This record gives sequence, C-alpha cells and structure tokens, in this order.
Amino acid sequence: MIMKNSLLFTALCLLGYACGGPGSSATKSITVKGSDTVLPVAQKTAESFMAANPGVSITVVGGGSGTGLTALMDGNTDIAMSSRDLKADEKLKLQDKQIEFEIKTLAVDALAVIVHPSNPVQRLTREQLEGIFTGSITNWKDLGGEDAPIVVYSRENSSGTYEFFKEHVMDKKNYASSVLNMPATGAIVQSISQTTGAIGYIGFAYMTPEVKPLEVSYDQGQTFVGPSMESAKDKSYPISRPLYYLYDVKNAEKVAAYMDYVLSAEGQQIVEQVGYIPLSK
Amino acid sequence: MISFPKQVDREKRLHQAIAFWIARIISYSILLILFLILFFILKRGIGVINWEFLTAMPIDGMTKGGILPAIVGTLYLVLMSMIIAFPVGVLSGIYVNEYAKEGAIKQFVKMMTNNLAGVPSIVFGLFGMALFVNRLGFGASILAGSLTLALLALPLIIRTTEESLKAVDDTFRHASYALGASKLRTIRKVVLPIAFPNIITGLILGIGRVSGETAPILFTVAAYFLPKLPQSLFDQAMALPYHLYVISTSGTNIQASRPIAYGTAVILILIVLGMNLLANFVRSHYSRKVKMK
Amino acid sequence: MKRLVERSAEGLIKACGFASALTVLLIVFFLFKEGISFLNSSPVEDHHALFVHSGNPVTQLEEGQIKDLFDKKINHWKQLTDYGHPVVLLTANDLERLFTPEQLGNNLEYLSACVAHYIDTVPGTLAYFSERQLSLSPAIRIVPVPNISLWKFLSGRQWFPTAQPAAMMGTLPLILGTLLVSLLAILIALPLGLAAAIYLAEIADPRMRNILKPVIELLSGIPSVVYGFFGLVVIVPFIQNLFGLPVGETALAGSLLLAIMALPTIITVSEDAIRTCPIAVKEASLALGASHWQTIFRVILPYASSGITAAAILGIGRAVGETMAVLMVTGNAALMPTSLTQPVRTIPATIAAELGEASFGGLHFKALFALGCLLFLITLATNLLVERTTSKSRKS
Repeated sequence: MIMKNSLLFTALCLLGYACGGPGSSATKSITVKGSDTVLPVAQKTAESFMAANPGVSITVVGGGSGTGLTALMDGNTDIAMSSRDLKADEKLKLQDKQIEFEIKTLAVDALAVIVHPSNPVQRLTREQLEGIFTGSITNWKDLGGEDAPIVVYSRENSSGTYEFFKEHVMDKKNYASSVLNMPATGAIVQSISQTTGAIGYIGFAYMTPEVKPLEVSYDQGQTFVGPSMESAKDKSYPISRPLYYLYDVKNAEKVAAYMDYVLSAEGQQIVEQVGYIPLSK
Repeated sequence: MISFPKQVDREKRLHQAIAFWIARIISYSILLILFLILFFILKRGIGVINWEFLTAMPIDGMTKGGILPAIVGTLYLVLMSMIIAFPVGVLSGIYVNEYAKEGAIKQFVKMMTNNLAGVPSIVFGLFGMALFVNRLGFGASILAGSLTLALLALPLIIRTTEESLKAVDDTFRHASYALGASKLRTIRKVVLPIAFPNIITGLILGIGRVSGETAPILFTVAAYFLPKLPQSLFDQAMALPYHLYVISTSGTNIQASRPIAYGTAVILILIVLGMNLLANFVRSHYSRKVKMK
Repeated sequence: MKRLVERSAEGLIKACGFASALTVLLIVFFLFKEGISFLNSSPVEDHHALFVHSGNPVTQLEEGQIKDLFDKKINHWKQLTDYGHPVVLLTANDLERLFTPEQLGNNLEYLSACVAHYIDTVPGTLAYFSERQLSLSPAIRIVPVPNISLWKFLSGRQWFPTAQPAAMMGTLPLILGTLLVSLLAILIALPLGLAAAIYLAEIADPRMRNILKPVIELLSGIPSVVYGFFGLVVIVPFIQNLFGLPVGETALAGSLLLAIMALPTIITVSEDAIRTCPIAVKEASLALGASHWQTIFRVILPYASSGITAAAILGIGRAVGETMAVLMVTGNAALMPTSLTQPVRTIPATIAAELGEASFGGLHFKALFALGCLLFLITLATNLLVERTTSKSRKS
C-alpha cells in the first residue's frame, strides 16, 4: 500500500513537473553562456534589462569560454561570452558547420598585476614580469624587494585570461610549472591577500583594498603606468583586452534588444560599475 | 598458582591508563575539530538566514538577496534523481537478494554495484557529460544532472535495500509460501512491508548524498545565475553546492558575497545533517517497534 | 493474466538488476572511448604543422623540444642537430610585421609564397602554420612530431595541455600529487581514527557510544565543498603561519583537510571491525591475566586487522577521488612533488578546473577524459583490494 501511494505520488509530481514546461514559451528567453570573466557583466546587465523588459528572461551560465563557444555551435545557447579569440580548431569547426558568427566587443578588461599590500615593490617592467612567470626570477630581492621567494599565482591553464597574459605579457613563453593555478579569480585575490610574497594577475574588476596593484612598463622601464579606469580608457595602461559576445547571425533578431542595451550608454554604465572599462565612443 | 609481582601489575595498569587516556583524548579532539568546523560556519552563517534569504532571488551580482533558485534547483535535482534511482535501486536490491542465485551472476552483479559505489564523483560528472549531455543530446539540463546524480545514488540504495531484505527472517517467507503465495506475492505482501522502513532509510541517505554533490553537476546542469526558476526538465538549474563554490571563488566582490556563502553553507549542512538525522530516527523508531512486537 | 503480470514484474526486477550492474560497464565504455582516442593522436593542433628549411637535417621534434624552442630556451639548431643556424620563429602573428598586406594578398592567397621565400632566405626558421594555409614547396618541409604514446602520457613530467604549438600531456606530476595527498591524508587519519574506534568500541560507556557513533556518522555527510570552503578560509592561512611558509596552498593543507574528511569513514569502518572480535577470544585473553589494554593491543587489533586495512584502503579510495575540497586548497601547480610544503595538483582537481574551458572534442578535452580513466582505474584497484582483504578475513 505504502509502495503504491509513493509511486502514485511520484507519478503525479512528474506529471505536474512536465506540464510546467510549455507554459514558458509565452515569454522570450535568452541564454548567455561562457567565460567566467564576462559573467559579472552579463549577470548585472541581464538583471537590469529584465527589470525594464518584463517579457524577457535571460539565463546566465558560466563554465568558461570553451563551454560557451561549444554551446553556441551546438545551438545550446543564444549568446556565447568569451574572454579570448577563437582557437584554430574552433574556427575550423565553424567553417565545417557553416555557421556565421557575429562577434561584438562589449567591454575592455584591464589586467592588474597584484601583490600583497606589505610588499615594498611598486613597479615592474614587462621583461621582469616575463621572468617571474616563466620562473627565471624567483626572489623578490632581484626586483628591489625583500629577500623572500616569489609565489606566483595564475588562472587555470584553460582560461582565456591565462592565454591572454601568456601572449601579451610573457612573449608567448610558457608558464613555469611551479606557478599555482587557481580555479577562479576570486580565489587568487583571497590567496594573495593572505600570502606576503605573492604575485598574480586579476581582472581590474576584482580589485579590492586587500591587494596592491603594481605599475607596469612596456618600454623597458621608461614610463610606468598603474591600472585605473582612466589609464585603461586612454589606453596608456598596456595590459588590457577586449571581452566578447558572440552570436549566430540567424539569431540576430532575437538577441538584438539585449545586445543594443549592453552597448547603450546605460549598459556601458553597468560595465563600468562592475569594474570593466566601457567602450570608448 | 602463579601470581605476578605487584610491580608488574602496577606497571600494566599504568600503561593501560595512559593508553586509554590517549584514546579518549584523541576521540574527543576529533569530535572537537569536527564541531569547530561546524561551529565556525554556523556562527557566521546562521545570522544571514531569514525568510528573505530563503525566498528571494539573488540581486546585485549575487552579493545581496536570497538563494531561492539554488534551493529550488537542488530540490528538483534531488526529486528527479530519486524518482529515477529509487525504483531502479530497490528493484535491483530485490533482484540481488531474492532472485539472483548464488554463484557467478550474483557475484558479478554485487561486484559491479560495489565498484559503482567507489567511482569518484568527478568521474560520474565526466560520464554524465559524455553520455547525457552530448551523446543523448539533453544538453546541460536538469534531466542530464538528475540522471548523473541518480547513478551516483544507485549503489547506496541497492545496498541498503539488499541489507534490509537480508534482515527479514526467512520464516516469514516460508510461512507465506506455505499459504500458497507465489514468490512475487510473498515479496510484495510480506517481505517488502517488513523491510520498507529500512529501505526508506536508504532513500533518505541518498537524498542527503545527492544534495551535497558538486563535481557531478559541474558540467551537467549547474548554472551561475537564473532569472527565473527552471521551467522544464531541459532547463539548467542553480544548485546549493555549486552556488557555494562559485560565490566563494568567483564574482568580482568576494568579500561582499561572503555572508551569502556562509549562509548557503549553513543551509547545505542543515539539509544534509537533517536527512541523516531523519534516517537515524526512522531506523531507531522502527527497530523499537519490532522489539515491542 | 495474473501469471503474465507476475512474469513481467519479475522480468522488470531482473532487468533492473542487470541494468545497475551494467552501469559500470557503460561508464567504462564512454570514459575509455573518449580517453583512448587521445592516445596516438598528434600533440600538434589539427591541420597544423611545423615547417623548416628543406636543408635542415632535424628528423623529428619532441613536444619538450618544441616547447623549449618556442620558449627561446633553445636558440640554436646546433643544440638539437648538426645544423649551423640560429633558430628563428615564425607564426601567423609575425606576418603583419614581416610582410605588407599587398604581399600577402587580400585572402592571404600569396601567404605560401611569402613564407616559402622567407624560410628560403632565413634557413634557421621554424614556422608554425595551418596546413590549409601553407602549401609545400621545394624550399620547405614539415617536421614530423611523434604522436602521444601511453608511456609518454604516464611518465611525462610536464603538464601543459594548452601549450602551443605542441601540447605537453605528461601526467606523472598529477598522478604523484594525487597519491601523495591521499596517502598522507590516510597516514594522518588512520592512527587518530583507530584510536577513536578503539575508544568507541572498547573503552567508552555504551551509553556514550550510542551518542557518539551516530554523531560521527552524521559528520561524514558534510558536503566536500563545505570542507573546501573551510579549508580555504581557515586551514590554508593556518598552515602558512604555523610553518612560516611563503605559501599556504600546499600538499599538507590538502592532506590535512582530506584527513579530517576521511576520519568519520575510518572510525565507523574500523569500529565495526573491532566489534566483530568474538567475546570468547577476549575473555580468553583476560583470563590469562592480560590487562584490558594488552588484550586490545595484542588480541583484538590483530583480529580486526583485515577490517582496519579495508578501512584504510577505502579511505584512500575516497581521498583519491575527492575533487572540490582539494581543488580549493592545494594550489594546483603541476610540479613533481618533492616536499609536503609545496603546492600540488591532483587528477580530479585538474579535470574539474579544466574541462569547462577545453574546446569540446579537442585534444585537451580527450586528455581530461584519459585522466578520468586513470582515476577510475586507481579507484577500481583500491576497491578490488578492499574486497580481497574483507573476503579473506571472512574466510579466516
């Protein structure tokens, strides 16, 4: 008897659950998927866009740039967020599937090189950074700091941020094996704030008072620029990269309103609130 | 009559006293450490929990508001995975204990389910991604996540079912057969009702296990942010353990979302501990009833 | 009719039993299908290749050599082969710098000619291009890169799965890291857990035991992500301050956390083992004048040893597969582990952290599935070991 009842109960649940599905088609729903770097912008713009347009629902899913692009190719998402350019095999796959993508830059991310606040080092050149991250410089005293080993934090080797830093700061050389890989930027901030000899890089949006940004030089030490909203806007800060939204041109109409919103003055204001650099007009 | 010299006797007693105290101290320190962990999280998280925290959507980049979608998501995942795993698990348990003949086949089935219990949860995640998300084309969805979690809970349910059926005294079965009942009828009318409370314990433990797992849902269902509660089986869903993971490691303002992280951890602990307590209660309640008979 | 219903019900029961048993095989099949296809594939990206001057005598380049070449650690071909020219790297990114758009053509139709000409004039060139873009000419040839073998996968010491042009898939540091963290965790947890199990089974008041045992069992249910969160905020800084380390995310932090997580399992399983010791054996020992402690140490523990071994192996199995907690506290540097106060990277953490970003179905994606296979085999081995030890004890 108990068995029968519970079976009946589960069957009813299942039925009620399944019926919930079709009702949703009345509202328009958009899925945004991909890079964890772009997530905060997507989440906040989605929040305020939905507040203004009650008929639309926007789902934001992380998972990484690769996840987003794969989902876009398979038609599992409307917009893919990416913090890196398409990889060669992804481009080939697109060609094979004959999908045409629209790539829109929605914001610029400045990468801040950060250390523990107690670290006396204020500035580094690109060459020094390359030395630190490839493992040829291992002690702070070689950089004018105290005699302490350098603890290097980086993002996971599959993240777009990792690739970007390698390409634009490390002259495409590989990271040293001793580099600590953190699963997310938040974890890097947490770790560097509690490790005195630490150095790492984070998106400017993640800056907090618990860590100290360094000034960097891309001209062998002639001029040093610190990361700030201003220096990133006037492009004097050298380490910055675009963040992308990608969508299938067939879906252009569906996502147009939201895309316009993100690129509008209001949307760009949210970009700045979150801590990324809005696109200059 | 050989008697030990007093000296030896005293030494022996001293050794014993020291050893016992060490064991005692270690036991209590283990308990202390575990409780400190619980206390550390509860102290910081319990203040966050109020009605709004449980029933509101997250706002402001998930640094404020509630965790409703994560709670609902976990609820859906638990419900769906149990709808799949419970019947299959119970029937498998019945097969192993009542139908399978001693020998190679029974050995094989037992070995397989035992090994399934030892498969790491991340491997379930990989498998779920390969089969449900990609091969069967469910995409990252509640369906794919629930199926993955169901597989994870399956060995637990099979084993508890098997154990509880084994605990049913054979005299019941013989009595039923003597009255002319068929094997299936005996199982349905006699064996299962007796074993049922213990089987339910397995279900409850399965719920506890499933609601706390992160690795299997990482690539099969979990979403970072949803504006609405999931509407169908093919939607993605937020879930408590994944929510705790993302807000404690990502998001641009970690310090601001810390209270939410602690609050989520507390809810998660309460669900899991609550389920275990419930299972213990069911088990002890039932065993008392049997004794009274 | 009734017969039919009964028949089909019994059929359903049997089907379920077999389906459950076959799930493992299904997992094995899908895991290995993706994982095995990774072996014997080229570490260079699809349709891409390395090109050199046809006069360059280099026969093949290993992934490690390619990495050193592109990291500019190898600057001269002399270091590799008998060829007296310095290494000059050429990739698609250098095209703009070297050639004008007119030279390359609107759709890069003259790319092949440009590159061939460049390589001809600079004989030390090592070029990395797509084979679709670059057609071969007499001046240039492709350097073969050996495929990834099982041996290289297991014994390689460098894990750079996204390195360009050739990925390095050496999993030895990951395997050793996983084993180090889990074995140390058991080394910490086993003596403590055993002491607690002895206390619960032999020393504690039965009433006390009835309270403590369920409480400890309860604690085994705390989700690993909660432990990971706790580890990140408490254990990592604690280890760092205690030993004055430059960094707190270490193998030790992971082991300590895993030890705490494994304690409930070890206590429960070994307590059960200790309690299987028959009263008669205990009484015999006591009657011979042994103290209670001597009886525990000399009689009960040896009697329960196989059960305790099973508890330890079970604990290791769990620790090996633990993902989230380890991911959050060990620092995930793919180093060959040499000390406990160093960051390590474990197999499950690698899978969880990298799978989301890997391009689907690509080499990296498959490599992670191969890691999954490895993990599965390790846990399978521990499971079989547990089964053997427990069945042996049952027989004796």
